[in-house]
Amino acid sequence: MAGPLLKLLVGDVSVLQIALVRYGHHIRGKPPGVARTLKQRLEEINYKDPSLNFKVDIGFPKPKPSRSKELKERIAIIKAVRSNPEIERLSRKKQLQVSLKEVKEEWLKTGGPFHIRRVARHYGVYDDLFGDAYFTPRVMLDVHYELNDESCFPVHRGNVIKPSEAATVPQVTYVSEPNSLWTLVLTNPDGHLTKQDAEYVHWFVGNIPGNDISQGEVVWNYLQPLPPRGTGFHRFVFILYKQEKRMDYTRLKEEGPCLQLEKRTFQTLEFYRERQDDITPAGLAFFQSDWDISITDFFHNTLNMEEPVFEYDFPEPYIRPQKWFPLRQPFNLYMDKHRDPKQVAKEYLMKKLKNVHPFKKPDPRPMFPNAFATDNKRLPSWLRVEMKKDRLGWGRINDF
Amino acid sequence: MTSFFVGFCSFVIMVSITSLLAQKAGSSYTTSPLIALASIATSVVTNKVGPTFYNRNPRNLERLRIAWRPTGYHLEVPGREFWHKLLLEQSPHHVTAKIVHYSGLEVVTASTKEWAVKKFLYSTKDTSAFMNLARVFAQRCLESGISEVCCDLKPYPGGKVESFLFCMEEGGMTLAEPPRFKPHRPWHVDRPEKPWEVTE
Repeated sequence: MAGPLLKLLVGDVSVLQIALVRYGHHIRGKPPGVARTLKQRLEEINYKDPSLNFKVDIGFPKPKPSRSKELKERIAIIKAVRSNPEIERLSRKKQLQVSLKEVKEEWLKTGGPFHIRRVARHYGVYDDLFGDAYFTPRVMLDVHYELNDESCFPVHRGNVIKPSEAATVPQVTYVSEPNSLWTLVLTNPDGHLTKQDAEYVHWFVGNIPGNDISQGEVVWNYLQPLPPRGTGFHRFVFILYKQEKRMDYTRLKEEGPCLQLEKRTFQTLEFYRERQDDITPAGLAFFQSDWDISITDFFHNTLNMEEPVFEYDFPEPYIRPQKWFPLRQPFNLYMDKHRDPKQVAKEYLMKKLKNVHPFKKPDPRPMFPNAFATDNKRLPSWLRVEMKKDRLGWGRINDF
Repeated sequence: MTSFFVGFCSFVIMVSITSLLAQKAGSSYTTSPLIALASIATSVVTNKVGPTFYNRNPRNLERLRIAWRPTGYHLEVPGREFWHKLLLEQSPHHVTAKIVHYSGLEVVTASTKEWAVKKFLYSTKDTSAFMNLARVFAQRCLESGISEVCCDLKPYPGGKVESFLFCMEEGGMTLAEPPRFKPHRPWHVDRPEKPWEVTE
């Protein structure tokens, strides 16, 4: 606030200095060092009691291999690598290319489950499917969609796959003991057309012996992803449950392709809660999918219904309440913000209709629209600017 | 305070329907907006569609470029206006790469401290380590559905970090986030295309 200082001199000493400033203000509340920061205030507002808001681990515990044995093996491997002159040479010359496949295999055995759980939490998979529960995927689920032209679309944790690529049943593999029973469920927590908190189940195979999906009992047949147009990206989550004993899914079973989407309404939490003593989630894989032209055909031909099209509901723009005397505001732009949109649309339509002939083609757009003169009578400057903007295709005219 | 949270809390989309009639062969096409569309029952299957659709995917708005970014910290360096950011932490013996979300969550990490990476490297801190870590990290990011991240790093030319960033780009990552899409307002000059209407 550098304004002229008014010094009142009493004797030889300047006692009072009043700064003549514009838009001066007094500080409200506590000064900066003492007041709580924005971060502190947000923490206070978003505070959640840890005794009430805690997550429960419903998966398998971490397998604990013999640490000393593991350490001995690792030290031996490191020694072998460090004494290998070939690797040292490649490393020095910046030509060492580590095999990504081998790194991934090792990663899946060591830190992979934790990383997958973290990404799943980031995508809200646990929140939307289980609520207050989570699990760490101990069994690595290898899911990929294979098309006729031998292209392969793997499902990892959140990658994008189009519905046309996911139209057929995927190949699912995982490591399992031969006498174990598994359940595989594919759900979409985002796609429900009527309810907010429900999911659609796209594929449910129960009582799978070992890892042979074809031998399992199909409770819901595979349905391709159906994200409607305009709704963005939906998550499709594969969960593999390990069964303690043979499960009875006859209550849930739906025959045929089950295109009645209400019958595919599913709540993973309720499903798990009823059977929590007998099944444990062990594997997790999910992908994202958004609209594709093949979905239009699917809605029309297979589901025999009109395709729903959505548009994101943006919040209304905040426009300050209108004042009688808006100082330092261009009056035409200010008042245009508060005009009735129907009136504005009507005016643009009238302008357009003046130049439209019902039977002739419209004139081609001129290359230099503002090269043509306006009417002979002298127009105010703001109106000339508006006419130029309309001719150039800037601003409001694009809405009509 | 509430206006501060407008974008922050809206990971749930509230979408209103503007329905277009089916473009089947021979039917007329009107553009009158209808509300609460019930499907025409031509067979046994009847599926109802609600007037509003809720998409709970928290990453959906970020993918559509509509999500809110923490704005208002423009006087800070480094800034906070990003959805996902690349961080590279270098210690005397190891290097760690992280993708961090603006809420603070570390989404994807890769480090030479991990046995899976350490096993195959001669040294955990030379240029080869950086380059191979970049390849592993880029693969993990793409598998997790993240391909565009904000990157504040300004590396020395010819250095390890520059090699790291080069290998990330080769691995398929884009080191800049797309600009946020602001909805069309009558007083805007341009009407940029909507990201969800672009079908390549």
